[in-house]
This record gives sequence, C-alpha cells and structure tokens, in this order.
Amino acid sequence: MPLFTPLVCLLCMGLAALRHPAAADPATRDDAPLLLLRWAAGLLPAQREEWGQAMLGELDHIAGRARRWRFATGCAGAVLLVPPRGRAAAALWAITAMAAAGAGLYAWTGVRYGLGTSDWVLAAIALVVAVGYILVVGVQVRRPGVVLPGLVGGLLVAVAWLVPNGFTFYGLIVTVPHLWAPLLQVIVVPLVTGVAGTLWSGSAVTGRRIARLAALSAGVGVFLYGTLAIAVIGAAGAQIDATWTISANVADRLATNAVFYLWFLPVTTAALGWAAAAATARVRPRLATVAASTTPSSAGSIAAPSGRALNGRWSSRLLLACTVVGALVILAGVFLKG
Amino acid sequence: MQRNRPLSAQAISVLQALAADPAHWRYGYDLATEVHLKSGSLYPILIRLADRSLLETSWEPGEGSRPPRHLYRLTQAGREYVAALPAARADRTVSRPRNRLSEA
Repeated sequence: MPLFTPLVCLLCMGLAALRHPAAADPATRDDAPLLLLRWAAGLLPAQREEWGQAMLGELDHIAGRARRWRFATGCAGAVLLVPPRGRAAAALWAITAMAAAGAGLYAWTGVRYGLGTSDWVLAAIALVVAVGYILVVGVQVRRPGVVLPGLVGGLLVAVAWLVPNGFTFYGLIVTVPHLWAPLLQVIVVPLVTGVAGTLWSGSAVTGRRIARLAALSAGVGVFLYGTLAIAVIGAAGAQIDATWTISANVADRLATNAVFYLWFLPVTTAALGWAAAAATARVRPRLATVAASTTPSSAGSIAAPSGRALNGRWSSRLLLACTVVGALVILAGVFLKG
Repeated sequence: MQRNRPLSAQAISVLQALAADPAHWRYGYDLATEVHLKSGSLYPILIRLADRSLLETSWEPGEGSRPPRHLYRLTQAGREYVAALPAARADRTVSRPRNRLSEA
C-alpha cells in the first residue's frame, strides 16, 4: 500500500501544475516577502481583512530586500500570534487535545512495555510530526469556510479507516482487512472529500484546504484511537513473529500505528483530496475563478500563459499520464496477486 | 465582553507621535520608524487603537496597478486621551519604547 504514496504525490504535482500554468513564467513572480505577507493576510478573519490589505499596501512602498523581509515577517508573526476565535478555536483545541492524548498514551505505553532507544527515536519523530500538524491545523482553521466541512470530512475519513476493522480495538490492531478496504480508504474517500469540499465551498482553493484539514484531523483522531487500542490490548493477539518479546511486539504495533495514521493516512488523504479539488475545478471552471478572486489584491497580477507556461502544461500532462498508467499497473498487480 | 485594558507604553508612544500633528494623515511604516517599533508590534497597536475609536483610518488610492495605502490619524477622542496623559508617564514612554507584542 505505501507504493501508492509517491504515485499520489506525483498525480497531485501534475494536477497542481495544470491548475497554475502561469506560475512557470518568472516574469510574473512576486518576491518572497510579498508572497509571505499575502499568505499571512489571507489568514485574517473577515472583520480584519482591511488590516491585511493595509500591510500589503505598506509593503509595496518599502524598498530594499532586508527591510521588506523585516516588515513582512513582523506582520506575518503578528497575524499568526492572534489566537483564533469561535468555531476555529474549538477545532484547534480539540485536535490539539487529541494529539496530546495520543502522544501521552504513546509515552505511557512505551514506558510500561520498556521500549528500546530506537523506538523512542521514532516516538520523538512522531511527536515532531504531530506538532507540525497542529501548526498546520492552526493555519487552516483561520481560513473562512474550512472548519465545519473540514471536520465533517475528517470524520468521514476516520470512519472509513475504522469501519473495515469493526470499530473494535482488537480488530484495528490484528485484523487484516479485505482488499476493498484500502481502495476505499486511500482512493475513494479522499476523492469524495476533495470533490465534496470544493462543491460545498464553491471554491477549489477552499476545497483543497478542507481536504487538508480533513486529512490532519482524521490522522490525529485515528492515531489516538489506535494508540489507545495498543495501550489496552498490549501484546495480546496474533504476532508477526512468534519469537518476538512482548516489548518488541508492542513497539512494532506502536511504530506501525504512527507510520500509518500520522503519515500514510494524512499524506494520501490530503494529496488525493487536493487532486480531486483541482480536478473538480477543471470540470467546473467557475470554481477556479471563485478561488482566484479570494486572494488579497496587491501589486502583481496574473498574466496570460506564456509559451514557457504552455510547455509546462504539456510536461504536466505527460507527468499526469505517466502517473495514471503507473497507478493502473500497480492496481492491476494488486488485484491479480489477490 | 471586550476588556478595556490600559494602553501599553508602545501604544502611548504611537498616540503621541500621531498627536504631534493631529490633522495630518500618517503612513504605518513612517510611524513604525518614528517610534522604533517593528511591524509585528505596530499593527496590533493600530488595530487596538482603532477598535477603541482613538484612531481613524483612511485609504490613499494607489497609482496605476499599485495597491491603496492605509492612513492613520487621531480622532477627537484620541486627542483628548493624549491630552489627559500624565506628563511623567508620557516622558517615560517616549524615552524607553519597548517591543513587546503582547502589550499592544
């Protein structure tokens, strides 16, 4: 199943390049401080939107690379330090609490079963990843129209990962699901999330953010559930290798749980959801137009695709075609083997 | 319910810079340079002052494709606030501006 991940990422890169052909033209690029500040201004709530425009307007009159960087980073820091409110704050705290509970349970289980040094290194990496997710969620929940559909999508993804195992602790750890389950979890549900998020919000940009929030919230939630299952069940049930110690068995389960739910689930869901949102915008161009209009206005504009951009478009199509063929070959191989 | 905490030393230094010529509209970057504040401190202060109606804002239209620029000056309430400041506090805030975002 991990073979799907690079394919999914390639697929998304191709679709993303198809969606933004003009970005390949260096003449249309803005400098990094402007891009940073434009991104930060987009995080402000609607009632503070004017202040984002004020920062962008001021940056336009600042000369000198270092001064522009200082101004942009200062403003971006100020925007990020403003705590979210209402539904956004509730979502952020809920996901943070789930991640903290998962990390705490992981540590408790590790101490109880006496994990080795290498297992604790993996635990530290998982902790860093979880903290990174919280930071990304902290950004996503500030975007308008993302929180509710993102959490609903996350619930859908989490259910898709838990249903094939019967929602039980034992089933989640020990049961090997049927072949249809990975296809549903890795392909169908992320695609549905991306398409539904785009149609719900009426914007491809928001649809991608919804898919991202769904992926992260589901990953953190299922990681917590899986860690709880391991903490309760321990080394009971089927073992991969009968010669393993109890500690090794639990360590393997914890590692598998972290890799699957903190890395594989979020990456594949976010990537395929992103691709689905981009594809939806291709089918309904009006959604892409709505998305572009939500970006704060400032110096720099979107130019018509140049010859270089059109070459990039053909490269993207080639990349996309190769990826689809590769995915079909792997799927066929999996089916034939099954 | 909105809390009305006392203004910080930096916020008062911004008010005093604006009070030097109350009828004149000022740019944000010029204000930041004058009171030695970073942009990350200045904008939260400006937002807070505007929320308290001590500051009024306006837009200067951009030339050509340039974006409009935000302008600031004191309201009547802002002028009265600055006029009512104790002289000792005013001297202290001007001589030792600090750069703490949380006290905006």
